[in-house]
Formats: sequence, C-alpha cells, structure tokens
Amino acid sequence: MGSQAVVQVDSSLPVLIFVVPLATALVIFLFGRISTVLREGAAFVGLFFTFLLSILIAHRILQGEVLTYWGMYFYVDGLSSLMELLGSSMGFIVVLYSLSYVAHHPRLGDMAERRLRVYYGLILLFLSMMNLTCATNSIIMLFVSLEATTLATAFLVTFYWSRESLEAGYKYLLLVTVGVTFALLGLVLLYSASIPYLPRSRILLLTELGRIGTKIPGNIVLLASALIIAGFGTKAGLVPFHAWLPDAHAEAPIPVSALLSGIVIKVGAYALARTITIFSPAFPALVLFVAVICSVSMLVGMMMALVQDDIKRMLAYSSISQIAYVVEGVGLGTYLGVYGGLFHLMNHTIVKALLFLTAGALMFAAGSRKISELAAQRRRMPITAFCFFVGALAISGVPPFNGFLSKFTIFLALAEQGLLWAAVIAVITGFLSIACFGRAAYQLFWTTPSDAKEGNPGEIIREVPPTMWAGMLILAGLSIAIGFYPQLVHPTLDRATNTILTLLAGP
Amino acid sequence: MAWVTGDVIITLVVAHLLASIAAAEVRNLKLSTAALCAQSVFLSATFAAFAVLSQNPSLYWWALTTLLTKAILIPWLLFYYMRRLPKLEVKPVIGFAASLIFLLIFLTAFYQFVHTHIEFIAPTKEALVEPARSNLAIAFTIFVLGLYVVMARRDAFKIVIGLILLKNGVHLSLVTLAPTLPETAIFGITTDVIVAAFLLLYLTERIYQQLGTVDTVQLSTLKR
Repeated sequence: MGSQAVVQVDSSLPVLIFVVPLATALVIFLFGRISTVLREGAAFVGLFFTFLLSILIAHRILQGEVLTYWGMYFYVDGLSSLMELLGSSMGFIVVLYSLSYVAHHPRLGDMAERRLRVYYGLILLFLSMMNLTCATNSIIMLFVSLEATTLATAFLVTFYWSRESLEAGYKYLLLVTVGVTFALLGLVLLYSASIPYLPRSRILLLTELGRIGTKIPGNIVLLASALIIAGFGTKAGLVPFHAWLPDAHAEAPIPVSALLSGIVIKVGAYALARTITIFSPAFPALVLFVAVICSVSMLVGMMMALVQDDIKRMLAYSSISQIAYVVEGVGLGTYLGVYGGLFHLMNHTIVKALLFLTAGALMFAAGSRKISELAAQRRRMPITAFCFFVGALAISGVPPFNGFLSKFTIFLALAEQGLLWAAVIAVITGFLSIACFGRAAYQLFWTTPSDAKEGNPGEIIREVPPTMWAGMLILAGLSIAIGFYPQLVHPTLDRATNTILTLLAGP
Repeated sequence: MAWVTGDVIITLVVAHLLASIAAAEVRNLKLSTAALCAQSVFLSATFAAFAVLSQNPSLYWWALTTLLTKAILIPWLLFYYMRRLPKLEVKPVIGFAASLIFLLIFLTAFYQFVHTHIEFIAPTKEALVEPARSNLAIAFTIFVLGLYVVMARRDAFKIVIGLILLKNGVHLSLVTLAPTLPETAIFGITTDVIVAAFLLLYLTERIYQQLGTVDTVQLSTLKR
C-alpha cells in the first residue's frame, strides 16, 4: 500500500477543469448556430483541452500532490482526478460517436441546427458541472453541482421530443430532483451538527467530515446517512430508487445513454464515496445497510435485465446491477473494498459505454432495438460483433477481461469483512449476468436468420461509419488492455483509494 | 422591534403551513399557485422575524432572496406556463375531500410525532428549544406534504407545485438548522430550484402540445 507523503499545492487546475468546458458550452450555445466549426468543432477543442487538463491533474496527483484553490474550497485529490479523467475521455468518445449517429438520425427532422447546438452545448455543460462536483470541497456545493448535472442532462434525454422520451425525461428530472433533495436534508443535518466544530470558516469541508464526524451524535450521523444514501442512491440508480433509470436510458439517444450509464450515475457513486464511506469504519451498521441495499439492487437489476427483449433496457437494468457492485465496494471503507469499487467504477464506465455504443451501431445499421428482430437479420458487421463480445464477456466478469478483476476484488473485500452472504449474492449475480449477456450475444450474432435458411439472400447490413466504430474499438482495446495488464491503472486507483482512506472517521 | 417574539414566528409558520395545504389541495391551479405565492411570502416573513429575534443580519439576506425567488420569480414562471395549460387540475388518484381529510389527520399526527421526538432529528441543542423546535417540525411536515403531492397527483403542473413545496420545506429547515450557511450555497440551492421548476414546466408544456393532456397516468406508456 503506497503511503507516500502528500503535499498540498495551490493550483488553478481544479478551477480550469470546469471553467474550460463551461466556456465551451457558452460558445456553442451563443454561436453554434453559425456553423459546424463553432458547434462540433468547438466541442472537440473544448473536450481536447479538458482532457489535457485532466491528464495534467492526474500527473500531478501521481507525483504525490493534492491540488487546492481558494483556500481549501476547491480540492482535487486522487478520487476527483480519476472521475475527471474518466469524464473527459468519455465525453470525447461520446461526441465523436454523435457526429454520425445524432446528426444523421431520421428522427431529428427540421430545426436540426438548433437542436444539435443544444445537444453539444448540454454535453459540455454536463461535463463542466461534473468536474465541479469532483473539484468542490464544500458539502453543500457538492449537492448544488450534483443537482446541476441532472438539470444539464434532462434535455439530452428528451432530445427526440417523442412521446416516450418526454415521459422518460419528465420522470428522470422529477424523480432525481426529489431524490437528491433527501440528500440535501442529510447534508444540512451534518452541517448543522458540525457548526460548533467549525471555528473559523462557515463552510463544512468534505475533507473535514471524517475529523468532525466522530464528534457529532451517532444518531444524527445515521439519520443523515440514510437520507444521503436515499438521495445519492437515486442519482446512482440503486433499487428501490431506480424507477427513472431504465426509461431514461432507453429513450435517450444512444450516445446519451452511454454518457448516463458511463458517467452520470457514477457521479452519485462519487458523492456516496465522499460522504458515506467516510463514516463506514466508525459505524458498522452503515456498512451493513449499504451491503443490503446493494445486494438487493444487483439481484433485482440483473433479473430484470434477463427478461428484456429491448437491448437498451437490458443494458440499463444491468447498469443498476453493476453500480451496486461499485457502491457496495466503496461503502466497505476498507482498502480492498474501496479499491475494488473504484476499479469497477472505471471498468463499468468503459464496458457499459462500449456496450451502449455497439447497441447503437446495431440500431443505426439495422433500425431496431429488439433483440428478437435484430437476430433475424443478415449482417456483416465484424467490428461491432467483436466489440459486443468483448463488452459482454467483460461485464459478465469472465477472465481475463477487466470486469473479472474488479468483481473478484469486491468478492474478496466482502469476504474479508465477514459479509460472506453478500459475497455469495455478488457471485450469483455474476453468473446471472453471464447468462444474460451470453443469451444476448448468442441471439444477436450466432443464430442463423430464418429467411437465410429458405435460400432468400435478402439485403446484407453493412458496418457503421468509422467515426462510430473508432470509439468502440478504443473502449474494447482499453477493456482488454486493463484485463491483461492491470498495472496500467494501478497507480491511479491506488492513489484514489489512499486519499479516501486518509479522510475516514476514526473508529 | 420588541414585538417580534417566538409567538410571532410560530404564527407565521402556522400560516405558512395552512397556505401550503391550500396550495396542495385547491383544484383551481391559479388559486393553488396564488396559495403557493402566499406560502413563500410567509416563509420570507419567517426569516425576517428570525433575523430580528436572533440578531443575525445575514438572515435578512435569506428573507430577501426568498421573497424575490420563491414569492415572485417562481409564481411568475408558474403563471406564465399556466396560460397555455389546462386551468383545472386532473382528478387525482385520491378524491379531493378524502385527500383533504387524510392530509389534515396525517399532517397533524406527523407534526406531533416529529415535535415530540425532535431529539432524533435535531443535531444541536439550539434546535431543541422553541421556536426552532416547532419550525423544524413544520419544515419536515411541509417536506412530507410536498412528497405526498408529487406522488399522489396525476397533473404534471400540480406535481411541479408539489416539488416546490418540498423544496420550500427544505429551505425552512436550512434556515432553522444552518443560518450561517454561506451566500454562495444559498444562491446555488435557489438557482437549482428555479432551473428545475423551469425545465419541468417547459416539459409539461411540450407534453400538453404533443399529447393534449397533462395527466401523468395517461402519459406513462413505457413498460416497467
């Protein structure tokens, strides 16, 4: 376990990382009407610089630094850096994919210029708010910026303005806003209880929560934690707060689904890691509560995924199951648990985005999202098929792919803490997901279409354009690379885990 | 201003609660919005009274922002969108008379329960004594009332009113529990509420334009 000395350095990077995408979003909103250069072009430039900044931050963090700005008000450590790195790289892949997918979509219709402007602007705005969520150190601003990520993505869900997407968007906005308000109540209780211990400042810092947490009454911590789990759990999509998730994922455009599953729900997991994990060593009841909720979530999510014929809904329910692994690991508050949780967070971001993008490729080429209808088609899409197989194997936790490593770490972490029943449920869910994704892969790519048997050649569906499969290949490559060579990401994960462990409330 | 006592605050808070129930129960959406506006005015007045009582000038700032955003801006947004939407609420799952009786009984019981067992919720000793004790109980009661409206009503517009009630309940608990909260945090929280209300109202209008109804039960076609 690396426990190198950490140096706090004053730097403007924590602010730049959200100001750059925010400025880009403004440029797109204001001038995106004029030409594609100021719309797609600006989005790429903004994303490129955001990505560069997140690399720069990750580099500084690995040197043993923690970046602060404006006193301690902005605070970027290993965990923030990991989230920002994932966010900006996913943003890049999603925008690249959108070039072909969204711009040429038949449902776009007239006013395409204006709607594309809003689309790219909102993606950049979301990225900015997400980076703010990860950079802020104030407990109340954590809520404010997290709520802003929901507000920024609402009109991305309703992008098609169809009956279904309107319903999904309304549900998403309402349920997540109400849910996250519970978290605000919890955060305010913590804030209020901490006031006597905030000598100079009026701000409760997330990094101070561990130190103050042991001084405030235990019943307040537990009540606040329950409210926070309900609130940020809604954002993350844990059962029973998940009602918005399948609809929003299924009715949003595919790149937005990839963004929702890959990053947006992870913001909820991040917020839980910043608050609940801090208290877990001091409050064993909390660990048990999180383990129960997560075990229910993973089982229910996977069983719902098994019975879906709609490929997007299947992937959405699987996300509920996978985010439960993340939260369960992170909620343990031990090195192994947090490491496994964050590792799975990273892997799920890569793999679920990959699966959504391959599903999008199938829908784009074949025009259906029902597995049964897709199975009956003749396709020649080798790249899509390869990517889907990598994604399906990785998410089911089959060795040697990346999903296996992180799931296995979480099994070990649960067993280490004596939560054997939870480890067993997690293993069972793993087998269920092999069944679920094995069935989908078999139906989609291995069955012979019925009309082919009758000697009817029919039309053969071709591969999607390179702007779409490029991102898919990058993600599939990452999934394989991390699976075979986990040392690639170990320093980043180790640093992120250790930063959380130093902030924990003493037992 | 010696006349501002704990009793004034409790009077204001009770008026605030009654206005909240009116906003939740009145079927005419114009009147319901007006009740919501009155509710926010009482909320703002409560903050001003608190400022006098606790000699905390930063609470005047709370009172002013509450008045501007919750009593003027949000009702204006609601009235603006109402012009293009049905004026009468879609009949809810629970009938109006039954709902009102249920609410009065439930809210009284809930208030009594929270007020008696406040030590489980109150994080500080200050919150255990009046008027903070009653305030906190009312804040949680209004939160629950808003939650009830969001869950039990079918009208998309009324659900937005419920959401704002819920947020106002949290706002009251903020002032009671954490009057020292920095201005940036208040600004952020208030902005979130306004933007959320605006986006939901915009979506409601689009839903009405496309489907000719604001009934969320008719809207839900997506399978579970």
